[in-house]
Amino acid sequence: MAEVEKREETADLKSLLKKISAGAQYREMKSAWEAGRPICVASAGVPIEILYAMEVQPIYPESHAAIAAGIGKAQEFFDLARERGYSQSICSYTRCGLGVSWVNKCALGPIPEADIFIGDVSICCLHVTWWTYLQDHFQKPTFFVDLPATDNPEDPDYIAYYEQQLHEMVEFIEKNTSAVFRMEKLKETVRNSDLAGRYWKKIMGLRKNRPSPASFRNISGEILPLVIALGKKEAADFYQALSYFYEDQVKQGATQAKGQEKYRLIWNGIPIWHHLQIIDYFEMKGANFVWEPYTSMSWGNAFPAGRLDPEKPFRSLAEKYTYVKWNMPLEKRFGFFDRAISEYQVDGVVMFSNRSCRPGSIGQDEMIDMIREKYALPALIFEGDQADPEGFSMQDAKTRIDGFIEVLEARKK
Amino acid sequence: MKAELSEFRERLEKRHERGWKLKKKGQKLIACFYGLVPKELIHAAGMVPIQLVEDRDSRYEEQAGLPPYFCGLSKNLAGQIFSRVFDYVDGLMVATVCDTNRRIFDVWEHRNLFPHSLLVRLPVKFSERAVKFYGQECRRLARELEKISGVAVTEERLRESIGQFNENRELFRKLYDVLPQSGISGEDALHVFGAALVTPVEDHNGLLRKLLASLNVPSAPDSRTKLMLCAINLNMAVEVVKLAEKYGARMVTNDFTHNARYGFEPIRLDGDPFESLARGYLGRVPAPGVYPFEARANYIRERMEKAGAQGMIYLIQLYCDAYAFEYAILKERFDSWNLRHLKLEAEDTPSSIEQLNVRVQSFVESLL
Repeated sequence: MAEVEKREETADLKSLLKKISAGAQYREMKSAWEAGRPICVASAGVPIEILYAMEVQPIYPESHAAIAAGIGKAQEFFDLARERGYSQSICSYTRCGLGVSWVNKCALGPIPEADIFIGDVSICCLHVTWWTYLQDHFQKPTFFVDLPATDNPEDPDYIAYYEQQLHEMVEFIEKNTSAVFRMEKLKETVRNSDLAGRYWKKIMGLRKNRPSPASFRNISGEILPLVIALGKKEAADFYQALSYFYEDQVKQGATQAKGQEKYRLIWNGIPIWHHLQIIDYFEMKGANFVWEPYTSMSWGNAFPAGRLDPEKPFRSLAEKYTYVKWNMPLEKRFGFFDRAISEYQVDGVVMFSNRSCRPGSIGQDEMIDMIREKYALPALIFEGDQADPEGFSMQDAKTRIDGFIEVLEARKK
Repeated sequence: MKAELSEFRERLEKRHERGWKLKKKGQKLIACFYGLVPKELIHAAGMVPIQLVEDRDSRYEEQAGLPPYFCGLSKNLAGQIFSRVFDYVDGLMVATVCDTNRRIFDVWEHRNLFPHSLLVRLPVKFSERAVKFYGQECRRLARELEKISGVAVTEERLRESIGQFNENRELFRKLYDVLPQSGISGEDALHVFGAALVTPVEDHNGLLRKLLASLNVPSAPDSRTKLMLCAINLNMAVEVVKLAEKYGARMVTNDFTHNARYGFEPIRLDGDPFESLARGYLGRVPAPGVYPFEARANYIRERMEKAGAQGMIYLIQLYCDAYAFEYAILKERFDSWNLRHLKLEAEDTPSSIEQLNVRVQSFVESLL
């Protein structure tokens, strides 16, 4: 079980959640817009701590795509993309995110026109094309935080190349907006980010308990502030309170999962936002997801130092943002699964073969082979798309899950 | 001219036999995936760069073990590699152009399919900092290549290699300048550049010189509808050229990540050759998505104008993100310019290509 530190007084979780929810973040973005603060359309992987330190309001098209898919409002954006000649084989986040940019509207309402664009290259190649397009189409200043493909993200020269670009990113923002950089503000956002990361890591650790106190469905929503509000005090406060909530759940032997936890599983991939109820179905069958690379390998200060250092904010952010697990060789990535399987007492693995995420889907067969070789665990692969429901059949998915649960049952006997 | 052209075709079609022959002579070869691999470094290390080229055998795709939504090109290459088709090479070098080519490297490395595997840390930016970083990366790669060949990549050797490839670029540029009037068929033109991917650069330069000397430009006037082709998959391109020519058109120029685009600018020979190499590769128009779209669209339009092409076919291999995305972006400009074009998206299978038949026919007829 994870180390539980001495508790501090916190506001209640519900009121904190209200400050940090998607709706609250949307309202804050509108306020920033009305106040004339700079607006930046940023890709996932851009160091958000710098944006908040400079009071630049980010808009994350990928998050908007996930939210739109989650509440069934993504179709109009997909239709727009299709009308403009975008093939359906292109990532659904991209198609939906472009739709959001074209009409300055997200699933929650209107959004402002961006002043600047910042793209990151660490996660997927499409970011380059996507943000180059935004630059070309909207004719706005654009900056790329370049992270060349690598199989050794810990190389000091590599980290230094990234760190130097963070300074350039600050210069770019100052040059193209009214924003001003203040080191003290950056130290503060880095401190908040570090705290949020620590509490998230603690929550992930609490899931080692039997039963795991969390449900992957809830976790899929609770991760949002890490994506869009990291660096804010509200985010750190929220995760502190959330970690206390899960601690209490552990003490009570309770779980947020919908069924009794008989099987403990790994989910590999982005959640299927348009059919999150698939997680409910697993849970009702007694299978609870206790570890996911998506939630555990990218967030929670998951880099070698394990903590952000507010006194060396640029270096620390560089170490964090360059430590991309997908850039590591498969054997090294297996190491993360290996530890999780034994520490979280995992019974099986579900691989989401995601049409929109080639970086996340390639190598799944090899990963399964390594897992089977060491642990002889059963694995289920099913194909779909993270945000576009076209072609997805819940009934087919249920049939496959039923079969997988039967395998898990047979192994328990 | 016919004899010269058939030699390019033979080089492409018998690439594996020739690869084995080179191997038997003691020559080391390095497989390149894809067009952004700095081949000059391999050459300077005394080895021959050989591009992984797709094959027309659907069994390879089945052997790849990749999900259906991955592009046929990557599946085809993976299948060939699993089938040990490229066992004559001594190593692999991968430079990222898309997520699939980057991540498939992990699978090949994991399966230990090549004696040596090198991933090129290629920046996507073209800034002085990126040039400096990539210059250092080229030095690192040179050290790795030296370990394979035992030949030191000195600055002098690298300059010589850059010189060889610059000559190849220059010869390509000359060829593409005269291609529309040369009488060379669209299919033959594809073989000329396809051969460059799998032939030692000195040999290809010799073949290009012979071809250029044999041309009798201008050839007889040609009243057929003139087209340009943008594509990535060589085999699919050949099929589409045949279709277009069947309906009375002529493919007067083409655009792949290699060939004319690659020949735009020679790499400078003065100064630090590693940094020159870095600058040359970062500043070119080698792959979709990593170059300003305005320049890319202008390039296509200018090339069409220069070649007298009345229309353009943009051929996308299904599930190729890079080309699919690039097309949608370029389309905005093509439409505003009223540039006549046809987008085709298909798999590299006879049935998939066959379905393009009517669309190609209609497009060609619409241009008459």
